[in-house]
Amino acid sequence: MIGAGQVGTTVVEALHVDHELTVLDTEPSRLSAVAYRYDVATFQGDGTSRRDLADAGIGSADLIIACTSRDEVNLVAGMFGRREAPRAKTIIRTSEMEYVDLWREGQLDVDFVVCSELETAHTISRTIGVPAARQTDVFAEGQVQIVEFDVEVGASRDVTGVPLRDAEFPRDSKVMAIIRRGETTLPRGDDVIEPGARIVVIGSPQAAQQWSALLAPGGAAVRDVVIFGAGRVGSAIARVLLDQDIGVRLIEASRERARVAAEAFPKARVFNATGFEPDFLERERIGQAQAGIFAMRDDTKNLYAASLAKVHGIPFTIAVAHEAVSLAAFDQAGIDVAVNPRTVTAEEIVRFAHDPRTQQVAMLEENRYEVLDVTTRESSRYIGTKFRDMPVHGALIGAIVRNGSAIFPHGDDVLQTGDRVIVFTEASNAPWVIEAL
Amino acid sequence: MNATSEVVLPPPRIGPRRRIAIDVAASLNLIGALGKYLGLAALLPIAVAVWYGESIWPFAAAGLITSGLGLALERATAHTSGRVGAREGFLVVSATWLLAAAFGAMPYVFSGSDQLGHPLDAYFEAMSGFTTTGASVVTDFEDLSRSLAMWRQFTQWLGGMGIIVLALAVLPRLRVGGRQLLESELPGPEIDQLSERIRSTARRLWVLYAGLTALEALALSTLGWLGLDERMTPYQAVAHAFTTMPTGGFSTQARSIEAFAAASQWVIVLFMALAGANFALLYRAFVRRRPEALARDEEFRLYLVLLAVAGAALVAQVWSYGIAEGEDAFRSGIFQAVSIMTTTGYASADFALWPVLCLLTLFALMFVGGSAGSTGGGIKVVRHLLLGKVLRRELDQTVSPEVVMPIRLHGTPVDERTLRAVAVFVLLYVGIWAGGAAVIAIDSAFGDVVVSPLDALAISATAVANVGPSFGATGPMGSYAELNEASKLTMIGLMWIGRLEIVPVIVLLTRHYWRT
Repeated sequence: MIGAGQVGTTVVEALHVDHELTVLDTEPSRLSAVAYRYDVATFQGDGTSRRDLADAGIGSADLIIACTSRDEVNLVAGMFGRREAPRAKTIIRTSEMEYVDLWREGQLDVDFVVCSELETAHTISRTIGVPAARQTDVFAEGQVQIVEFDVEVGASRDVTGVPLRDAEFPRDSKVMAIIRRGETTLPRGDDVIEPGARIVVIGSPQAAQQWSALLAPGGAAVRDVVIFGAGRVGSAIARVLLDQDIGVRLIEASRERARVAAEAFPKARVFNATGFEPDFLERERIGQAQAGIFAMRDDTKNLYAASLAKVHGIPFTIAVAHEAVSLAAFDQAGIDVAVNPRTVTAEEIVRFAHDPRTQQVAMLEENRYEVLDVTTRESSRYIGTKFRDMPVHGALIGAIVRNGSAIFPHGDDVLQTGDRVIVFTEASNAPWVIEAL
Repeated sequence: MNATSEVVLPPPRIGPRRRIAIDVAASLNLIGALGKYLGLAALLPIAVAVWYGESIWPFAAAGLITSGLGLALERATAHTSGRVGAREGFLVVSATWLLAAAFGAMPYVFSGSDQLGHPLDAYFEAMSGFTTTGASVVTDFEDLSRSLAMWRQFTQWLGGMGIIVLALAVLPRLRVGGRQLLESELPGPEIDQLSERIRSTARRLWVLYAGLTALEALALSTLGWLGLDERMTPYQAVAHAFTTMPTGGFSTQARSIEAFAAASQWVIVLFMALAGANFALLYRAFVRRRPEALARDEEFRLYLVLLAVAGAALVAQVWSYGIAEGEDAFRSGIFQAVSIMTTTGYASADFALWPVLCLLTLFALMFVGGSAGSTGGGIKVVRHLLLGKVLRRELDQTVSPEVVMPIRLHGTPVDERTLRAVAVFVLLYVGIWAGGAAVIAIDSAFGDVVVSPLDALAISATAVANVGPSFGATGPMGSYAELNEASKLTMIGLMWIGRLEIVPVIVLLTRHYWRT
């Protein structure tokens, strides 16, 4: 691994149990912080130095992850990695959409490219699709969504206040976890969802939208969004939302960046304003937007602008938190969803880096839980077992993908060889679950 | 050529203060070179004169004088080491057009014709020719020899795509630096580059221009051969193809296009409409076979819409006033609308006799003009388009001052400088038109011809837009012969300024242009 910053540390945390990791960084303090917490080898060196990479043992690596915050370092490290270890998988992190496009066109000789801005934009766009959600992840080409909801006081009585076995859930969906006061439990038939709790639901995209409607009645599909900040992150979000025909207004304080954004997005309305002047917010009826996205470079500005926007009437706020510590503060301040670009980047890297059979993973609840996407082997002892007979080991199967289409299994369904299984599990249990399937 | 000529460096010392910022010698050198070749244009009327057994001397003398003076000027300034840069471009273009008109006027004077013998009238006719205006002082068309009439038509064809553009396209390498010259002469706010090099762009434009002219001559003479139009002889076909494609408007006939059959009029309508479109766009659509480029071009779409609306309005007026009916009404309405909007200036009916509403419609069309990169004059469709977008943005920004809205043309953002230039152009255009009208109106008070205020406004508009006919006595079947000399001079100036799109000429009037 090249880079032991925030992304690197998060990746290490997810991978250190079942991988032998060597972490390379120029900064000794970052290396020692990683080494104290996880059982990994560290090497102080420069990712752009071929000798340093060779000394760190890149030649014998199976997987090379270049996830520093600098594109150039990642590109050079990826290039040397390919030269020194031709059979190793290479993942590089970038912040330029251009490199992602190049990679897709086959012009960039690496196995996977992750763009923080793009991942952030996708995360936010999924959240917008399900407005009551705190966090969403998609699996199996969008057929399966995992959504984390806050249960509000006004939520429908169909699903709250009654034991789960009596509740009327939307079709093709399943409650995977209930979180009360920071404590996560895998639900049983007699558990009750109460307002104030947080739940994790797996289901089809339609079911996720129905859940959203049940838990936040009156919420309509989002068609009108205001984005504060038209830098890299804000522009990536605007692009993704405009592609879905969602109306976008962009507010950018820098005249030059506002001009660039206005030229790039003919369909968006771009304002050259800070977004903090009450006159401006009032005159442009910013408060009438269905959602506000705060993607400025400074977390404190995002927090303040989001609070101000709430005051002006924006009902749903999503803020980018560049620092991990900001997440809690945003949550405390009443921002509906906070997204840390580094976390989503790390998630994406881990998805690719995990077991070859594991297609994707998501991390929930500050990485204590993972969602795995595992393809069952013939030798698995659970082949042919009905779902109601499966043992409970701190893990729950939410959906299976069989012959390309998603099934949300009931008690009588049977696990078959070659099924892709989407499992919710405690992070510490993940290796065991993968082994058992 | 001496390949091993040495470069002699001047001794390193501080010379006297130089106040003039323009390299006059280099500019004169280029003007001389252009004049030297321009004289060759006399070969065509000489050939016509030989064919019809008329005198070749007026043309031979004009050609020899022009080429000789050009050669002398070039020789006299041959020592110059300067290059014609962006700055000299304005001077070269402006002066070349004045001198080209002088060349064009010589055969009229030398032929001793009664109606064109006066130098001012001859210069007026030549300027109207080269600038593709089509305003004429000729009253008796039967009196003109065939070679002289063809010379009149030919000057329009030479001026249509631009003399300097032609020189760039066909002449051996001129000492010209860059695109400034081309841009000063080609109509429209910016040129559409067909290829990287100026020279090949100029060549492609001229090939297309010549090709379309040949096609029209062929189409018209075919109508003559088929007996659909008895008066359309090959001579007339070539003569009118020479003045359709440059949106000129000169005719060999006193009754303009009314003299020809309906079929010929429709063919001419089609080619006038083509001549008013962007040639670079036409090249892309027809020569490179990408017709979808037409649909994508915002200016071309608006151009067609305006032509259709103007045509429909005139047809409705002509029919409801009982001037014409049926096919006749359609033809005269559409013909006049296309002719005036593209700034050609042909007439298939004497619209000077039409009611005021029709005149006002035609008057408004003079301010539309052709497309950028066409041979048409006037304000041009693309400037109206951009100005409309700027206006809409200003209104939006009145409500929301913070909103950032780049102006787009064909989906690409337009530079703010270009937008400013467009606004300045329209302002200058309107100012010059109003000033010209004022001079003509005041001057008419001292003359014999009755020029009403509307006529004065129309004469100024028709001259600066390079249309040709206006209303009243100076209508399509009339002539400008009776105007006072001051009015004729004003029109010459307006035609010249209008053809060069104002800025290259006006820049010469600023002190900053000449001084360091």
